[in-house]
Amino acid sequence: MITFQLNNRAVAFDLDPDTPLLWVVRDHFKLKGSKFGCGMGLCGACTMHVNGEALRTCTLPVSAVQGAAITTIEGLGTPNNMHPLQQAWVEHSVPQCGYCQSGQLMSASALLSKNPNPSDDEIHAAMDGNICRCGTYGKIKAAIKSSAAAMRSGALAESAVQSFDPANRGVES
Amino acid sequence: MNTRSLTRRRFLLTTGAVASGLIVGCSTSHAKSVGYAPVVGAFEPNSFIQITSDNQVIFYLPSSEMGQGILDGLSTLIAEELRVSPELIEVRHASLHEDYKNPEMKMQATGGSNATRAQFLPIRQAAADAAAAIRNAAAQQLNQPVDKLLLADGQVLADGQRYAYSEFVALAAALPVPENSPLRSPQQFDQIGRERPRLDALAKSTGTAIFGIDAEVENLYRAVVVRAPVVGAAVQRFDGTAALQQAGVVDVIELRHGVAVVADSYWRARKAAESIEVNWTQTELAGWSSDSLYQEFVETLNDASEKGLECCLEGEGDKLLDQAEHRVSADYFAPYLAHATMEPLNCTVEIDGDSCAVYVGTQSVQASAGAAVYYGDFDADKVKMHPAFLGGGFGRRGLGDDVAEAVEIARKTGRNIQVVWSREDDMRNDFYRPPALVRMQAGVSDQGIIETWSVRRVGPNIMDHVLDQWVDVLAPDYLNKGFVDWLSKFGYSVFKRFKADPSAGDGIYNDYDTPNKEVRHIPRDPGLRTGFWRAVGNSSNAFFKECFIDELAQRAGIDELAFRLANLQNNPRLKNATQLVAEKAGWGKPLAAGHFHGLAVHSSFGSAVAQIAEVSVEGDKIIVHRVTAAIDCGTVVNPGIVRDAVEGGIIYGLTAALYGEITLKEGVVEQSNFHNYPMLRMAETPAVDVHIVASQEHPEGVGEPGLPPLAPAVANAVFKATGQRLRHLPLRLS
Repeated sequence: MITFQLNNRAVAFDLDPDTPLLWVVRDHFKLKGSKFGCGMGLCGACTMHVNGEALRTCTLPVSAVQGAAITTIEGLGTPNNMHPLQQAWVEHSVPQCGYCQSGQLMSASALLSKNPNPSDDEIHAAMDGNICRCGTYGKIKAAIKSSAAAMRSGALAESAVQSFDPANRGVES
Repeated sequence: MNTRSLTRRRFLLTTGAVASGLIVGCSTSHAKSVGYAPVVGAFEPNSFIQITSDNQVIFYLPSSEMGQGILDGLSTLIAEELRVSPELIEVRHASLHEDYKNPEMKMQATGGSNATRAQFLPIRQAAADAAAAIRNAAAQQLNQPVDKLLLADGQVLADGQRYAYSEFVALAAALPVPENSPLRSPQQFDQIGRERPRLDALAKSTGTAIFGIDAEVENLYRAVVVRAPVVGAAVQRFDGTAALQQAGVVDVIELRHGVAVVADSYWRARKAAESIEVNWTQTELAGWSSDSLYQEFVETLNDASEKGLECCLEGEGDKLLDQAEHRVSADYFAPYLAHATMEPLNCTVEIDGDSCAVYVGTQSVQASAGAAVYYGDFDADKVKMHPAFLGGGFGRRGLGDDVAEAVEIARKTGRNIQVVWSREDDMRNDFYRPPALVRMQAGVSDQGIIETWSVRRVGPNIMDHVLDQWVDVLAPDYLNKGFVDWLSKFGYSVFKRFKADPSAGDGIYNDYDTPNKEVRHIPRDPGLRTGFWRAVGNSSNAFFKECFIDELAQRAGIDELAFRLANLQNNPRLKNATQLVAEKAGWGKPLAAGHFHGLAVHSSFGSAVAQIAEVSVEGDKIIVHRVTAAIDCGTVVNPGIVRDAVEGGIIYGLTAALYGEITLKEGVVEQSNFHNYPMLRMAETPAVDVHIVASQEHPEGVGEPGLPPLAPAVANAVFKATGQRLRHLPLRLS
């Protein structure tokens, strides 16, 4: 039995422990926002936060996240309460096909949580593991920068705070 | 009763879509549901629009949204004529129906960059007629003259009062729907041409957009298919005993083209698939490697007895080549390319006795439904289609092979099945952009006028493979299968022996004024499947043409921009775009040290695009700093989406120009995943500036035309930087 926090909710999984976290989240817990792209950790479509680090979950066995806090795109923000980066993504009209964008947002949000004012090189390094076939890289970079500026100025600070309601805390499997 | 209502009724009776209105998304996301579902009490003037009694406008999107922005574009047209805010329209992917056929293609499909062009008038007409119906009903209900009523923001304005459209839907539904209602004029447009964030950005930024791979139904089993290393081989024998003993595995079955392992989870199916040993039949493709194929192309090109099939013959053809003051000849090559959509192919099938529901992101709902009928042996009226967003299309999705395999497994096991292709499956079982070896020849005068233009090319066709797929799945179901199969093979022979594949000549001769032109294509095909890859024939032909144009200009000693302008007298749109890009990029003006400009221009899918790449070279590394583009695509619906599509074409084209190459070794595709088929990443991405030519002409394509000029623009800049004329793709400095 492997237990971990999934978007602030305690969950348990007792099937094959070598199952990649991506498939556990998508097919067992039915959170479909994280995507399968390559199965080798090369494209970043499956990126989630594991204890705040952006990791590729298509190659990460669920056994490795015992006790960890996992955040997926669904936990980053919701349509009614978006993370500042998600707001910037909408304002900049970043997505085209949209398939890679959950992963892009998880990499970008992990970056900004550690570095509120990243340089171009720091953005490139943090986003290097995320492929986009539609060519949205330029807009992603612009959205990260404007979001970072807004977060630094505090304009969006309130919605940037993720709420945690203990009432929602239950065990789900 | 008008004909549209009759059509509607027939639709509801025959497609089984009545109960299918499955809501699979978030309430604030666009395109939240699939299929068509009648709404009680709603006004349904046609197959595209519903206005409900609680004032919701629902639009059934007939085209596939794969990133190109057609959801936004067509919703804008609805908003313009129906006088509602585009943000308030609920968009649903249309299921299968006659009314959703693309008017140009005559099939329900999305491709060829024509979705806006072909539907600009019909979709607006559908909305204008709906608006007129609401207005007529309001006039009757409020006892006001029709011409005193105004429509705005989903409301009827009468005598200073505002009434929601919903107040009139009951009466509107009972009255005849007007036809040919007047459309708004370009001077009145307040939605068309307006820049605002795209409508699907919210869903796609919050993980709530539903793609094909996200389909989830009760009792769903996951299948992994063991595929032949050489595509096209069939199973001779296999041993699935070990796989069947693994936890969660419920079936191991033979398919037309492989072995399927079915389990209660994807991971268990994938693990079990590794234990399966298969002996495959031998095919002709196994005798080919990329080197031997290239040699075959060279020998064929040099074999004067091979006349080839005519793509174009004008004036004296190539007869006067030798009479020109400058005769130039050069051979160019482009390789096979994979599409590598971010979402690997997948399909989910829910089976219920003799009927099934198909969940898939597809460029052709019709071909996908046809695949279910043909390969699953379902009656056409027993197949329900649930289209979804596509995680990239680029021409890959819509041939029906994804659906064919899933329905075959579902039929044989009697289970609900989801098949998700691995990245390796996807890359090694593509319908690839065909390679071509091309001999470009031209005669040019001292003044830099092209007098003769000659192209002789060797390579595989596309239509052979596409027809093989499509005839099967699109043929009317009253034709028996043997006949349909014969027909698809017959199509194959037509393009091999009698008529040049249309894509072979795509864009290789039409841009410049030349009195004498001759283009011939010699089909040579080892048997690896080929298909439509973003911009199709233009994707490689523009590289051959535009690099060669630079070679001609340089031979004549004329500036490459001036040379093009002199030979574009009869192509004013492309000439204008060329002048615009030269002005915006500062052609001929000094650049940073070590930076060079390369120019390329190309018309495709009705639009004219000119690009200038700013490039430097470090060692053998090509660095693209900036690409400036100008596009004339006629009337623009949303300028932001036009710029995004052009930029997208540039980035997709740059990946191909710098890295793209699929190679064969004894019939096996050597590339498998992103480590050996690399993609451009953020750090290598140039700045891109896109300039749009203002126009009130009919809208033309934007999804593909941004791609073709990119590779030649970069190659032309590399020549300036290094003196090396790179005539093979991908571009590699030696």
